[in-house]
Amino acid sequence: MGDLVPPLFKKGLIMRQYKSDRLWFWLFLAPALFAFILVVIIPFIMGIYYSLTDWQAVAGIKPNFVGLENYKTMFTDIAFQYSLIRTFLFTFLSVMSINFMALLFAFLVTREVKGKNFFRAGFFIPNLIGGLVLGYIWQFIFKSVVPSIGTLLHIPALEDLLLLADPTLALFGLIFAFTWQYAGYIMMIYIAALLNVPQELLEAAEIDGANFWQKFRSITLPMIAQAFTITSFLTLVNSFKQFDIIIALTKGGPSTIYNGEIVNATELLAVHIYNVAFKYNDMAQGQARAIIFFLMLSVISIAQVYFSKKREVEM
Amino acid sequence: MKKLVSLIMILALIFAFVGCSKDDAKESQEVVIYQNKVEIHDQLSAFAELYTKETGIKVTVKTSGGDSPYAENLKAEFQSDRQPDIFVIEGMGGYNTWSTKLEPFADQEWMDLTALEFVVDGKTYGFPVAVEAWGMAYNKEILDKAGVDPATLTSQDAYRAAFEKIDSMKEELGLTSVVAMAAGPDMTWVTGLHNFNGYLSAGLPYGDTTVLDKLNNGEADLQRLTEYADWVELLFQYADEAVLLTGNYDAQVGQFGTQKAAFIHQGNWIDPWLADNGVDFEMGFAPHASVYGKHNAIFIGAPSYYVLNNESENLDAAKDFLNFMATNEAGHNYMVNEAKMVPAFTNVTIKPDAPLSANVTEWVAKPNGSYTWLQNDMPDGFGMGTLGPIYESFAKGDIDKAEFINQLKTKIEAIK
Repeated sequence: MGDLVPPLFKKGLIMRQYKSDRLWFWLFLAPALFAFILVVIIPFIMGIYYSLTDWQAVAGIKPNFVGLENYKTMFTDIAFQYSLIRTFLFTFLSVMSINFMALLFAFLVTREVKGKNFFRAGFFIPNLIGGLVLGYIWQFIFKSVVPSIGTLLHIPALEDLLLLADPTLALFGLIFAFTWQYAGYIMMIYIAALLNVPQELLEAAEIDGANFWQKFRSITLPMIAQAFTITSFLTLVNSFKQFDIIIALTKGGPSTIYNGEIVNATELLAVHIYNVAFKYNDMAQGQARAIIFFLMLSVISIAQVYFSKKREVEM
Repeated sequence: MKKLVSLIMILALIFAFVGCSKDDAKESQEVVIYQNKVEIHDQLSAFAELYTKETGIKVTVKTSGGDSPYAENLKAEFQSDRQPDIFVIEGMGGYNTWSTKLEPFADQEWMDLTALEFVVDGKTYGFPVAVEAWGMAYNKEILDKAGVDPATLTSQDAYRAAFEKIDSMKEELGLTSVVAMAAGPDMTWVTGLHNFNGYLSAGLPYGDTTVLDKLNNGEADLQRLTEYADWVELLFQYADEAVLLTGNYDAQVGQFGTQKAAFIHQGNWIDPWLADNGVDFEMGFAPHASVYGKHNAIFIGAPSYYVLNNESENLDAAKDFLNFMATNEAGHNYMVNEAKMVPAFTNVTIKPDAPLSANVTEWVAKPNGSYTWLQNDMPDGFGMGTLGPIYESFAKGDIDKAEFINQLKTKIEAIK
């Protein structure tokens, strides 16, 4: 074979082939890379820079460099601290409630029940309604329907209930509305996972005398661990970033008192950042908070995926 | 033959040229007005046509607004080769942006007919486009039944007596509460801006900004705050709890419109809502007794002003046009009947057909019948974002009156 193609020539050919492959590689990548750099990387770096200035977002006014001033103000701001606590509370509770409801629904609609496709569609449909619309729907329910039911059943407590005026109840109302919207979507992921659990394992366990809980704990749960990774990631990130339902349902209110300051009970981080930037017209401060928001969300979600991955079982 | 053709061609060219230059000359006579109310574009254009017929001066109306941001489009308009002669600003914010482009008015007839022009350093820069106002709007029928004369509602004591009386007759009048008041998260503009404006300007002469200036320097007037807190307490005490704490605009206006409240803390902008819902009882405005003492004025202001471009070549024509609008019957007809606005001028005799707007014209005509709008001259977000939740906590009873005053004071002092 060596006498057919001289070795040197062969090597040069490969080099040239390699070089032209690389050229094509970058050529095909260029449009996507260009767009990504233009709309993600550059604004991100500019954002970091602006968070260190007193930027006003008015063309013609040159921002002055102020160092870490914005970050200092942020962490001494009681409204921000409170918003942070509430965001973590909201995220924790809604991840729990969405995943619990979604798994429950998924179990129910993978049994042999009549009209299970109808139920699947029914549970999924709230997800197709936009957050603003369903926020207003639930506002109507909490403000008008709940008291009317109280009047109808002669329950004074329900009749006079101002759910959205109570800091704790308003947060639960928000979690309720969000669960109603999102559980159906997460349910779909669980259904796919549940249908992939090998029936022969379950049957074998049954023959060995395992009851429902034993089967669920030792077979079903480990087998759907992959779905858990995805669903907990999705619910975590979406709860943390929740914005539209809050705007429509509570507008950040009701007011409550924290450390002697009057703060807004459901002004979670995304809404808080929006208010700082646009209501108070403090763009640089809002930008600094957005960067902290990004860092926290990244760390939490990466940690979550890392630990969930460990639990997954490979067949 | 060929010569004839070229002669005709040349003649045609010359005529065309003359025609053109004549057009050009005419165009420089034209007044261009660039405004921001989409809903009155057609009416204003029709009025401009009428003006052209009467005086021979062409007025072109250009409009942007609604979905397209006026402020940004205006900047683009100034970059073009034909700048507007008249454009619109919305108070101090607009003045700060455009101050180098503005030409003050002087010796105009309309200036004696209004107290609501836009003035900076003694120079009049803005022609008030229209007027909006709020006070304590009342339902005349209910007050008559309860035997309360709205003309007597001029002080906190008078209000307290009237509220007590009406409250005791709630059942027979079919009311859920005396006042339709809202302080929830959706309504911080009513509390943090409109109601708080009482602290800033009630009882002071029109245009007096001493309390506002103090506030912007981080100084609170404790005496005024104490008096003002009594007024807030009074309103909250006689409001329906559900509307007060969680109600939105519809809930608040709805309570008044369905005759379930005798008073409402809103302005004449609720007229279309009431008309759409077939409300036809008699109503009017009584003064806010925001601080102690007698009050005989409601909060009247112009949300936007026509201003002159100082680079305009048609300044006189532009001034004449605005003066015509304010002083001529046709201008009044346009403002009141066509554009459905409340004119800021005391010489207007045509009454709007909407009840609250009609009442506003009476207050405009009254000597010293207006208190100043200062709520938009506080720092960004201060009224709705910072003060709004304090009102809500007070309404819920989370804080008492002393703490309410203390919170307002602390927030004002934090402005510095």
